[in-house]
Amino acid sequence: MDDMRSRFDAEVLPHLDAAYRYARWLSRSPSDADDVVQEAMLRAFRGLNALHGSNVKAWLLTIVRNCHWTALKQMQRRGFVPLPDEHCAADGYAMISTAAGPEGAAIQRDAERTLDELIAALPLDQREVLHLREIEDMDYREIANMTEVPIGTVMSRLARARAALKVHWSVRCVGEQLVVP
Amino acid sequence: MSCPESLQSQSYFDGEVDTTAVPNMERHLESCTECLGLFENLTRSRGALRLGYGNMRAPSALRSRILRAIDREIPAKAAWRVRSFWWGAVSGLGAAVAAIFVVFFVPLLASNQPIADDLVAAHMRSIQSARLIEVVSADRHTVKPWFAGHADVSPVVADFTSQGYTLVGGRVDNLDHQRAAVVVYRHGAHVINVFSWRADWRPMPAELSRRGYHMVSWRVGDLQYCAVSDAGRNEMAALTRLIRSIAS
Ligand SMILES: [Zn+2]
Repeated sequence: MDDMRSRFDAEVLPHLDAAYRYARWLSRSPSDADDVVQEAMLRAFRGLNALHGSNVKAWLLTIVRNCHWTALKQMQRRGFVPLPDEHCAADGYAMISTAAGPEGAAIQRDAERTLDELIAALPLDQREVLHLREIEDMDYREIANMTEVPIGTVMSRLARARAALKVHWSVRCVGEQLVVP
Repeated sequence: MSCPESLQSQSYFDGEVDTTAVPNMERHLESCTECLGLFENLTRSRGALRLGYGNMRAPSALRSRILRAIDREIPAKAAWRVRSFWWGAVSGLGAAVAAIFVVFFVPLLASNQPIADDLVAAHMRSIQSARLIEVVSADRHTVKPWFAGHADVSPVVADFTSQGYTLVGGRVDNLDHQRAAVVVYRHGAHVINVFSWRADWRPMPAELSRRGYHMVSWRVGDLQYCAVSDAGRNEMAALTRLIRSIAS
């Protein structure tokens, strides 16, 4: 019991920030992300006995992912939120900015887009893979296992996400250095 | 993308190409301007993404909310385990044992290291508030006398910038009914708080982990030191050795 707690503190808690970042990339609002992370950490604590591998971070992030989808489905069942379209495009993503422009926004607007908005415009499946690869430094196999798709799909999603950022960037950074929030 | 190798180039960028294919990729990158441009772009976007989002931390309020929720889980689990152990034999007694366990044993375990909890709480407060440092200085000759007027103890104060541990200042925290001296170091992205106070009979374990933070403790005479940080164990041990190598 106490050893469970020390094990949790030593192995799981150091990944709390990663869990939070991931939840923020998945969730529609910061408070949703908070709830998802709390639920995930509790489940991780209860399920600590089932953890045998050494990749605690991937294990925890998978729990975060499951909690996110469970929460989303519950909210949809209660009619709080509309069903996302088939690609979950710009699913209320709100890391810092709240307003993601509508699809096909004017090119003029592109120049004013922040990095936040660039990412917000990505379909959820691409955004997720981009996050796991670039921010959490996970390899293709780990991402494939977590998101339950073949490695080839991970690669193509990653390529599309990166290409989308590049297209927007080239509009945004004409002759000037990129401004990062 | 018109180059048929662009996916392979991406894999190479991500370190996912197996070693036998690496020479081929390197040769391709020498001749293909498109993939070279891709490489530059990937490097730039990774840098921007990590800079923009890589340092995002869970809010402190959320962290404490989660830890409180987990604390509530512990007695429930203990009760359940003890009860299930006795359940087959004497069910009524089992419940009573469980109750006794929860009432007497759990608080005992929880209060095992009250100072350790205080230290972690003080460390977290210092990180989360602006009150990390009260005397800002990289000069030990400023920090040391400041402690003389503000704290109950006079610890070792030294700068180890050349070894990677920069002295950034000092602070006083109330700890164990004393004005403990806190020497603050920065090591990369980590803050290391080195607490010191007048020790009593209670021993501190040499190493301890609480809530994701590491603590390394040592004693010099009746002066108890404890370094607290989210830095790695080895990194903290290195600072500890440096401090201990200096006689106060
Ligand atoms: Zn090429």
